[in-house]
Amino acid sequence: MSNLKLASDLKAANSKLPIDPATGKPLPPKAHPGYYPGFSTLGQKGFWDDATRKLIIQRVEEVPPIRFFRPDEVDLLKAVCDRILPQDDRDNAHKIPIVNGIDQRLYDNRMDGYRYEKMPPDGEAHRLGLQAIEAIARQMYGKPFVELGSLEQDTVLKTLHDGKPPAGQDVWARMPVNRYWMLLVQDVLEVYYAHPWAWDEIGFGGPAYPRAYIRLENGEPEPWEVDEQPYAWKAPENSLSGKNELISGTSEHGATPGQGGTH
Amino acid sequence: MDVRMRRYRTDEEVDYCIVGVGAAGGVLIQRLARAGFKVVGLEAGPFWDTERDWVSDEAGSHKLYWTEPRVIGGRDPLALGANNSGRGVGGGSVHWAAFTPRFHPSDFRVHSEDGVGVDWPMSYDELKPYYELLELEMPVAGPAYFPWGHPHGYAYGPHPMGGVGDILIKGCTKLGIRVSAGGPVAILSGSHGDRPHCIYRGFCIQGCKVGAKQSTLISHVPDAIKNGAEIRDNCMVARVNLGKNGRVTGVTYFDPAGRECEQKSKAVIVCGYAIETPRLLLNSACPGFEKGLANSSGTLGHYLMAQAGNVILGRFDELVRMYKAPPAHALTEEFYETDSKRDFARGFAIQTVGPLPISFAKQMMVAKGAWGWGMRKVMMDYNHWAALGLLGEILPWHDNRVELSEEKDKHGIPVAKVTFNLHDNDKKLIEYGKNKVMEVMWAAGAEEVVQEPRYAHLVGASRMGSDPSKSVVDKFGRTHDISNLFVCDGSILPTQGSANPGLTIQALAARTADYLISQGDDVFTSSSRSMERPPVRKNLSPPGTWGKGVPRLT
Repeated sequence: MSNLKLASDLKAANSKLPIDPATGKPLPPKAHPGYYPGFSTLGQKGFWDDATRKLIIQRVEEVPPIRFFRPDEVDLLKAVCDRILPQDDRDNAHKIPIVNGIDQRLYDNRMDGYRYEKMPPDGEAHRLGLQAIEAIARQMYGKPFVELGSLEQDTVLKTLHDGKPPAGQDVWARMPVNRYWMLLVQDVLEVYYAHPWAWDEIGFGGPAYPRAYIRLENGEPEPWEVDEQPYAWKAPENSLSGKNELISGTSEHGATPGQGGTH
Repeated sequence: MDVRMRRYRTDEEVDYCIVGVGAAGGVLIQRLARAGFKVVGLEAGPFWDTERDWVSDEAGSHKLYWTEPRVIGGRDPLALGANNSGRGVGGGSVHWAAFTPRFHPSDFRVHSEDGVGVDWPMSYDELKPYYELLELEMPVAGPAYFPWGHPHGYAYGPHPMGGVGDILIKGCTKLGIRVSAGGPVAILSGSHGDRPHCIYRGFCIQGCKVGAKQSTLISHVPDAIKNGAEIRDNCMVARVNLGKNGRVTGVTYFDPAGRECEQKSKAVIVCGYAIETPRLLLNSACPGFEKGLANSSGTLGHYLMAQAGNVILGRFDELVRMYKAPPAHALTEEFYETDSKRDFARGFAIQTVGPLPISFAKQMMVAKGAWGWGMRKVMMDYNHWAALGLLGEILPWHDNRVELSEEKDKHGIPVAKVTFNLHDNDKKLIEYGKNKVMEVMWAAGAEEVVQEPRYAHLVGASRMGSDPSKSVVDKFGRTHDISNLFVCDGSILPTQGSANPGLTIQALAARTADYLISQGDDVFTSSSRSMERPPVRKNLSPPGTWGKGVPRLT
């Protein structure tokens, strides 16, 4: 994005940037969004063990090449990921590459150890899902997804979140909408929140072996962590994802069960 | 390790072949090697070098889990992999959070007392000496007095509280609920032998690089190797072989190069856990056992259980920073037993959990439906959230099962298909338990409380029992059908209580070892089946177990 474009974004009514609720104006992109300015997990890498340091530095410095998706799929998935987890508040030098991480998982066939009976294998599910997203975009707006504005793109994706896609029924005959939505969102989350810049954003201290954490209670920072400095912001006007609503589920008792391992 | 591992030739008949060197297999192989048996352990995953292979990173710990293909279905499909399935030496004990509560005496008499599930073919008193033994071998840190079930204390001191533990205590205290603080958890609060104490870095379920959290990889396997056991890693067992005399003769497996090999042994012990154990026995079907080896009862693969593992998340005005301290450091079992005032049988526990960013983001996707800017925003508040886990007893049901799928793995072996349905009692228990944990979170001062339904742990599917027509193995883990074929792992549990199963699985392994040692060569030659209780052997513990701790228990 050029400086010229950036300036127009700041002025434009259809800005993709988060809004300062006090002024109603867009907040300029930052190198380090979030409430922990000055905190850098990577800045602590000298205190990490060798294996962890090597892995995390490689994750930041060596973005994996695209090997699983076709070029047209890459463009579409990139546009989808930009709405599933928008990074418009990050400056260009600090956007976290998502599609490459998903592509690497599928290319390496790195699976979670189970497949829902009613779902195709993950790679096929992603390909089918992209076809359906494109079909919904054309059905609703008569244009390819990548050519839509951010509000229209959110509107398309929200039909998946809500379990009511208006097109792509041949795809949904082969996989449940909510399972695909969860696969897609989880794959994006797994790449974004594995990145040390995301850890800096949320104030996660990161690896702590062999140094240890010492201040365990009352949310106290370690001497090398920083205090929280929150600021107010709200989602851009032309987005739909700022308010959280439950995903449509198939389960009889509330939401669809989660798949992350915690205990 | 500075000890050279003994190597057996595959054509050399060993005494015991152990399939799966995880929580149970690790303890069993250590005991049998110490007792002088020739024993080979075959493990599908790698033999970890913890410093080289493990990282302080969520995404980088994927290889610790069983990620080979499996198919899940039913009305309430069970997510597997990182949730409950280990791979590599140490198995699930590598990535457990290491809570080690004992089962309660009532767990062994669920049918007699509550009219649900099934009774165990043994009592709490039969397992109690092995709980005491393993609590010292692991060892377990915990409070001096633990008030629930059969009250007892822990020899090793409890851990300091983290932010989530404080919230559990605060909420429970307001509601008049007792809490066990600082354990019981198999994490060192002080150094032990060559293992350092905990450094509170919070990556327990990514594998403890520190060596403070117990896994059989570090607590029992080194002693097994010193005593002559061989562990072959990256070896996937395809079937258990049956001889003409109705006894097993060993196993066929794929070595790390993918070559099919056979290991002959006088007896086989399957320790593959609740999915792989029934899968292996079903895949070992042969003339005389068309429905699966040792499956004359038809119950093999059935009565699979998971525990309700809903995560209740509360947002607090103040900071929590729940990534610090072991996820497992405080719990309450106040609601463990059946209460006639509730409309369901059995109960649940409430425990601390400490999801790291990726897990937490996935929870927010489910619990709040978050995505896009909403997800970014709630994640920026990560340090304000605390998470408590429900651990609820789900009863054993015949329709919850492991079968063989049409799909095959890279060796051409049919993979497991796992079917799971919640029943009426389970649903009522989850609803009540979930609301109780939310009440605790509100009482602690949360300004917002949400929850993610999920499941934790796996047991059953090769159940033990006294009646050969209704169970797969007897109370010592010997299959009813074949006198030199045993199962020793979580799959033999008839019911599961609302305690984490890891301690019970390892205690059962030590007990089975004592039984096998008492039986001596009879296991290899005779078809008689002694049901005599073996003496508790304290001289088989790994070095450093005895003469330590307060009080000194010897």
